[in-house]
Amino acid sequence: MQKPYSLRTSYLESNEVFRRPYQKVLLALLLGFALLLPALASTYFVHLLDLCLLSSIGALGLMLLTGYCGQISLGHAAFLAVGAYSTVILNAHLGAAFVIVLPAAAVFGGLLGLIVGLPSLRFRGVYLAISTLAMHYAIIFLATKYQAEFGASATAGMTIPDPSFGLFVLSGDRPWYYFLLAVVSLTTIGCINLVRTRPGRAWMAIRDRDIAAQALGVNLARYKLLAFVTSSMLTSVSGSLLAYFTNVVTVEKYTLDLAIVYLAMIIVGGMGSILGALLGAFFITLLPFAIDALFGYLPRTWRFGSTLFGVQAGAVGICIIVFLLFEPKGLAEIWIRLQTYFERWPFRYRPLDTVRR
Amino acid sequence: MEVAATVVILTCTYALLAAGVVILYKAARVVNFAHGELAIVGGYVFYSASLGGESLWLAVVGAICFSVIMGVMIYMSMLRRLLGEPLHVAILVTIGIGIVLKSAILVIWRAERLTIDIGVAPAIRFAGGASLSYMDVASIAVTVLFFVALYFFLTFTRMGVQFRGTAENALLASQRGVNVNFVLSLAWVMAVFAASLSGTFFGSRAFLSTESVTIGLAGLVAALVGGLDSLRGAIMGALIVAGAQYLTVRLVDPVLSETVPFLLLLVVMSVRPWGLFGTLEELDRV
Repeated sequence: MQKPYSLRTSYLESNEVFRRPYQKVLLALLLGFALLLPALASTYFVHLLDLCLLSSIGALGLMLLTGYCGQISLGHAAFLAVGAYSTVILNAHLGAAFVIVLPAAAVFGGLLGLIVGLPSLRFRGVYLAISTLAMHYAIIFLATKYQAEFGASATAGMTIPDPSFGLFVLSGDRPWYYFLLAVVSLTTIGCINLVRTRPGRAWMAIRDRDIAAQALGVNLARYKLLAFVTSSMLTSVSGSLLAYFTNVVTVEKYTLDLAIVYLAMIIVGGMGSILGALLGAFFITLLPFAIDALFGYLPRTWRFGSTLFGVQAGAVGICIIVFLLFEPKGLAEIWIRLQTYFERWPFRYRPLDTVRR
Repeated sequence: MEVAATVVILTCTYALLAAGVVILYKAARVVNFAHGELAIVGGYVFYSASLGGESLWLAVVGAICFSVIMGVMIYMSMLRRLLGEPLHVAILVTIGIGIVLKSAILVIWRAERLTIDIGVAPAIRFAGGASLSYMDVASIAVTVLFFVALYFFLTFTRMGVQFRGTAENALLASQRGVNVNFVLSLAWVMAVFAASLSGTFFGSRAFLSTESVTIGLAGLVAALVGGLDSLRGAIMGALIVAGAQYLTVRLVDPVLSETVPFLLLLVVMSVRPWGLFGTLEELDRV
């Protein structure tokens, strides 16, 4: 007997990972497809998927912080920069190996997350967002100074060799794809387990009402800082991997706009949903390339470089606005609605929490 | 003397921006992250409406039309739907608006870097060889006029009283017959107008481009330093931010110019988080 859409009858049910039997089948199919994909798709497409997977890790990190714990952060680009620059520093000055650099980047990110998280103990909402913005500019200033000091030139940035495990060197889009697929799968499993156990429940309580959460015995300071540390560790790892993937690090890439792009991912995906983080990361990463492809159909006289950049950037902004106004729970909610539609078919069933006020 | 003049003009630019931020926060409880974009696009509109520096009056009319259309459109189509939603949703929407406006610069003006060259002839010469252009003098005069007019509007007119009532409690105001949608649209129009004036003055001294939208953040910081709900604070905050920025660029390191306002803000927020002139209970604190 199938359970109705959103009704849970015991606490254990809210811990279930798969709420429907067919979800396991779908996941297995998706994984099989993902494993076979590089054999079928072009190198360019695999490259795009690599980029999507890379941003998925960062989006998962931001989702934990903003989507689950409710702390808005505009400093996400800075954490990516921390990951990238700790990679550069460990590589250039110490010649450290990949297996050492990656955990080290996570540790650096975590430490910095702890510092950036400290204002969250005193502020919330706008004030917190602006204090993370302040941290963003402080970190980017340090990175700029470092690049001016040690870079080949002030603008050229630093290069990083391909990562290697002993004799095996990770290079090329297809090997990277399998590596990133494994990393993203592990991260996703980790995040799912985090949010359905004590830390995640504490975060959601803080997000929904911090005072009530404290009254329930949630240690606000500890769990807010935990959210910042976890999020920035993930993001820093993502930044480090991105640096290895592109082989070059320049400070110009880590702008406020990048932080906003990551915010757009979790808004479009749906706040408070791990699936949403992944969907949003893929959607927002592929969006500029899709627009680029569509631009090919326009008459030649319309195709200006700045117009293309403008439309690509503007589309992200329009996505943010449209999703916030019309679909605040994002792509994840659309997916749930689809599932419900097919489960109930041929009957109509409108779940309570999608009824508009 | 030259230093003082530069700081005063920069202060005017930031004070107009901060005034817009304060108006929006007071009236609509929205912190506008798209203020720099509105300012710079306003500057571009001013330049385009002047037909490349031909007619000042056309430019002013263009800027007013821009503010009215933009302000009413932003409020009626987006922010009105978010009344009663949590604060951060409105912030994220304004960030989205900012991105769209910035891309409009790329699409409509092709990311052209331009300087508004209206009234650049020197009006006042100083002993050291420095001079102030007509536009600089106008920026000081317009800023003073704007704040005085705002003061009289809020204190003595019927509309101004309705405005303050809405700021105090929108629900009660609407029950007493105040047209809240009109008042809030007006707040947006005023804020956009102040921003586009500021963008114009900024564009005449420096240049307009997609990078110069960061003045919005400086304006936001100025408003926060002064207190998000205080117009007096906007002027003081602007003066402090402009002074600190000028001194750092001159004496320490030009690369710091974007970072300085935020460092200043961190100091103010750790000592007096509600700003210099802000009210304590306004603050969203744990």
